[in-house]
Amino acid sequence: MKFSNHLIVISSVIFGFWLDDYLNQFSIKYSIELNFGFLIFSYWVFAMPEKIQSLAAMLYGLAVDLFFSNVIGYNMLFFVATSYIIHLYVFRFRIFSYFQLSVFFSGFSTFYIAFKYLLLSPYNYSYFVLILSFLVNAILWIGVYLMMRAFRRRIF
Amino acid sequence: MARYAPTNTPIRNYAVAFFLSVFFLYADITHQTFSPLRGIMNGSGLYIQDISRSIFENISFTFSSLKQNKYLLQENKKLREQALQIGIKDFIEKKDNEKKTQVSDFQETLFSTLKTSDINVFKIASIDLRNYFCCSSHKVFLHNPNKIKIEKNFSVFAGTSYVGQTKKTFLNFIEVILLSDNEHVLPIKSDLLYCDARGKGKPMLISCKFDKYDFKNQIGDIVFTSGLGGIFLKNIEIGFISEVIPITSDEIEIVITLKTNPLEENFYGIISIDTNEI
Repeated sequence: MKFSNHLIVISSVIFGFWLDDYLNQFSIKYSIELNFGFLIFSYWVFAMPEKIQSLAAMLYGLAVDLFFSNVIGYNMLFFVATSYIIHLYVFRFRIFSYFQLSVFFSGFSTFYIAFKYLLLSPYNYSYFVLILSFLVNAILWIGVYLMMRAFRRRIF
Repeated sequence: MARYAPTNTPIRNYAVAFFLSVFFLYADITHQTFSPLRGIMNGSGLYIQDISRSIFENISFTFSSLKQNKYLLQENKKLREQALQIGIKDFIEKKDNEKKTQVSDFQETLFSTLKTSDINVFKIASIDLRNYFCCSSHKVFLHNPNKIKIEKNFSVFAGTSYVGQTKKTFLNFIEVILLSDNEHVLPIKSDLLYCDARGKGKPMLISCKFDKYDFKNQIGDIVFTSGLGGIFLKNIEIGFISEVIPITSDEIEIVITLKTNPLEENFYGIISIDTNEI
């Protein structure tokens, strides 16, 4: 994949994290943590597994860590792990329904949120936040999937 | 035997990337290895925010000017420019006076409360809202355009009470860790109650654990700094007891709501030298 394409992908992921940053100030009052950034990254790996592999996932994670995270390595770790699992089951995902995909990716994003709380903010860990976030992110995934697919078909 | 579907998954590369990420994460959490790098990124981000804000203001000003009637613009150009100049001067003077009044009011409060004149007043640059509402890390960044040397662990005052202490400085900014940050510990007292209150990781809340049978206070009692940590001056009111939560049969958690809301403050004071009053 060309460098300019990588820039487009990382820009969309960073835009997603920026959106999370902005919206979560309000949504967290209702115990909902949105995860656009992670869902967008997951979409790119899901849609173009042969182009986004371990090194790209790690570098995207590093960029996101530098801009948005409190610790370096957290997004790197999750991006690499997510990328690996998506690569492993990429052909099975092709026959999944929208519902199954949204459950899987939302589950992954909930795991991301849970791990973040456990590692960086254990006092604020709440199952209620996780359950609500899971449901909201499952709905968000459909929108992210359709929008990103339209975007990808236009750009690539 | 069923075959696995071929994938683009060279596991060795993933394993290397995985362990590298874990190493970075461990190093940063335990030793704060990348703290300076994050500081620079934060500072750069704040600069970019400032610059983009001024660019946006200029663009919107240009667009609003274009909307004006061309004929009237030509006809009244001189008059409008004069009026604009007067208006801007007036506005700036007014804002300057307001700011000066705010700063001087705040300084008066600082002098009367802390009884020391070695105080620097800084304007807020940004508050880390991403973490403030959800997570344990509560930080504020202050503008330090004159690069005044501020050491680590100086107490920070805002409104009418303490809000935290300095953590580090980077570029032209000072990072302040708020009292409600989970890493922050503040020695407090209220009548017979003496304890080290730790930030709860929730806005404006700190708490400490206490023996149930030794607890003689009530909800609503005013809480002061005890000065025992050597960083904060003693007898400064910081909040009130808002909740008492039983933990075990013998132990309770006392939740204290802080007096000053950092979201409502523009100016922060930092005492620059140690005083003898601690």
